Amino acid sequence: MFTTGSKFLIGAAVISLVATLVYGIGQGGVMGTIGLTSATVARAGLAALNLFLRDSNVFADDAQLDTSSAAQHAPGASVWPLAFAVGAIVVTVGLVTFQPIVIIGLVLVLAAGAEWAVQAWSERASGTVAHNASVRSKLSNPLEYPIGSAIAIGIVVYGFSRVMLWLSKTNTVIAFGVLASIVLAIAFVFAARRNVGKGVIGGALGAGAVAIIVAGFVTGIDGERDIPVFETTALWQSEAILHPEEFAEGTEKGKHPAGLICESPEEFPEADEDASQTVGNKSNTVNVTLGADDTLTYRVPGPTASVGIEVPTFARSNATNVIFFNRSDEHRRLSVSLGTEEVEVDGETVTAPNQLCTTLIEPGAEQLITVIARQPSFAFDDGFFFFVPGVDDARLELVVP
Amino acid sequence: MRDAMTTTSVESVNSLSTRLRSAKVAAVAGLGVLLAGCAQNAAQDTFAPEGENAERIDGLTRLVFSIAGVVGVITFSLIGWTVWRYRDRGQPIPEQSEGRKSLEIGLTILPALILVGVAVPTVQTLSALNKTSDTECVVNVTGQQWWWEFDYPVQPGCLPGGITEPIVTSGQMVIPADTNVLIRGTSRDVIHSFWIPKLNGKRDMVPGRVHTLRMQANQPGIYAGQCAEFCGLSHANMRMEVVALSDAGFQTWVDNQLEAYTPPEEGTLAAEGEQTFIANCSRCHQVNGILDTNGTPIVSRPDTQVYPGAAPNLTNLMTRNTFAGAMWDLIDDQRREEVWEASPEEFDELYLAGVEDEWLNAVRLRAWLRNSPAEKAMYADPTQLEPTDGRYRGMPYLALSEDQIDQLIAYLLERK
Repeated sequence: MFTTGSKFLIGAAVISLVATLVYGIGQGGVMGTIGLTSATVARAGLAALNLFLRDSNVFADDAQLDTSSAAQHAPGASVWPLAFAVGAIVVTVGLVTFQPIVIIGLVLVLAAGAEWAVQAWSERASGTVAHNASVRSKLSNPLEYPIGSAIAIGIVVYGFSRVMLWLSKTNTVIAFGVLASIVLAIAFVFAARRNVGKGVIGGALGAGAVAIIVAGFVTGIDGERDIPVFETTALWQSEAILHPEEFAEGTEKGKHPAGLICESPEEFPEADEDASQTVGNKSNTVNVTLGADDTLTYRVPGPTASVGIEVPTFARSNATNVIFFNRSDEHRRLSVSLGTEEVEVDGETVTAPNQLCTTLIEPGAEQLITVIARQPSFAFDDGFFFFVPGVDDARLELVVP
Repeated sequence: MRDAMTTTSVESVNSLSTRLRSAKVAAVAGLGVLLAGCAQNAAQDTFAPEGENAERIDGLTRLVFSIAGVVGVITFSLIGWTVWRYRDRGQPIPEQSEGRKSLEIGLTILPALILVGVAVPTVQTLSALNKTSDTECVVNVTGQQWWWEFDYPVQPGCLPGGITEPIVTSGQMVIPADTNVLIRGTSRDVIHSFWIPKLNGKRDMVPGRVHTLRMQANQPGIYAGQCAEFCGLSHANMRMEVVALSDAGFQTWVDNQLEAYTPPEEGTLAAEGEQTFIANCSRCHQVNGILDTNGTPIVSRPDTQVYPGAAPNLTNLMTRNTFAGAMWDLIDDQRREEVWEASPEEFDELYLAGVEDEWLNAVRLRAWLRNSPAEKAMYADPTQLEPTDGRYRGMPYLALSEDQIDQLIAYLLERK
């Protein structure tokens, strides 16, 4: 029932399994257990494969064919030993240089090894070359076609993404449009001409793929375009606190307004320019609204009993989403004061305001901030409160018990 | 031949013996399950509702079970009769006929009508359970591995004069009896589920969301609950209790919770305990009003020590009867029985007496203070905190001496 080779592999798998259990339970090392488990799975897989291939003996249904050694053809030329060797070299190079390359090498070694083994086995299947080729195809094609296609598509897509990341934002749109137009035009030509040969279509697709891969290779080497860090309100707030001298210098040069952004009604560069005026998260949020009368009102998510809640109350250390509705006639931001915090500035510990704020949004717009209060509001004389810079009456107490 | 027959007969006897043994084991297990259903006054018995919401669920459950039971009995009786009546007696296979339209239509309409009959009261019950317009008191509930926090926001409800200052407590949620209370629940870390079987069904508490649940108890008493959504290592130990007090009792409880901090008398063991508390516990546990030696209020920073960022507030620890996520009672067994078995008229007085030295569950509290990770499964191994940036899930080992434990207990006994 079990062939000689299978017995060996099954025995190896069982020993690995025992070793896994002994080590996993006795020693409890995670990495070692994973390694031994992997070895067990690999050996079990090889054992199953070997059982299926019957130690590389010819299938029973091939018996009518001439299988004597004298009838065997000499093995054909094969690229797989070369690919296997390249894979082994890649593994070696990866081990001494950049370890992620090892994975590529291992994949190459495994794929080339498998192909090589299957080819060698199929060449001994019978004395008929065509039959041997069909035996090989029967076993390999169901794997080769999907995996090969996936790899080919992956390479093209990856190459395309390198091109897109290399181009500027505007040129990306243009390039995508031009490419789509070319594809559409070629498709139109093919559709209009009924006698286009397979070779022409295949050639066109191949040329396109090669062009994308080459472009991806070149642009990938050149690197991605510079993607600037967007200056958020949190960034401006921390810059003013952590680097006061540089910040003051910027103010003097007219690069940005003075003071903390969360206390300022003025527009700061980038953070307040072209900021999103709408929010996607509409449910389960606390709504804080600046009315036309310049007062702040709130509504907590869900029902609040017939009696209501007099002061917005957030659980401590819990993320609470707050949507700011600007229903006034001016551009406004919502800020929340969460007391103070100790920060290191030039090696010294200083006490700074702990504030969060939205960007400056236009009348009628909305924006969301997530508030997490780490300390209770009673820890500070002024407690916690929402406020709107530039609007004195707009102040709303926040309780964190 | 004879040997073969003997062997076959021995095998048959062995097989029969194995079957009998299996049948006995199954019978004992079944009997155990059956007897478990006979428990009297079980703390988490869904079939013993003590609030109008749970009564609605119970009523619906009994109705649906009754209908399903009748359908089940009829169906299985017909199947049994058919199997018996047409059992194989060597008769020829009868002529096969296909379909009987009137019967098929009837057997389609009948289940549909039964389902409609079940759907109407189901929808009515769901609608009643989701009603919030008649709730008169709000309690915010926050789940965290593995305990529950309850805070009472400033509101005009709950009491005639409303709640004027926020209150925060844990383990036991105190509510006025015969009052519709609205729970507004969320979670700091993973999904938990709030469930007090005798008062209402389950409600998931989800991080970043607020889910609501009605809660009402017909009369004063304690009602046990359990986190009903697997939430990690100590999910099974994440318990909670709802305590319902009369209106007067609830007023007394609120007044007591809002009382200013009274430091221990100088020179007492409790005063030493206050210093021990400041040195070892105040990093995570808040006691409102406690001052350091300079007279500065001490504010805990559990966010620097505990992964989800909070730890139970211990300002009035001894007004509640449980600790460590309600895993254990702070009162001994005798006192517990007195409180849990008290009549509604006596309950307020017994509960509001809180925890006294004479009925403190000192053994369990000491064990907890001595080495909490040994008492409750938590992620508190200091060598394995890399995934949480060095912060614990649960209470760590504090290496307290027995003297320090004495001091702490003396101090905590005054937190009423």
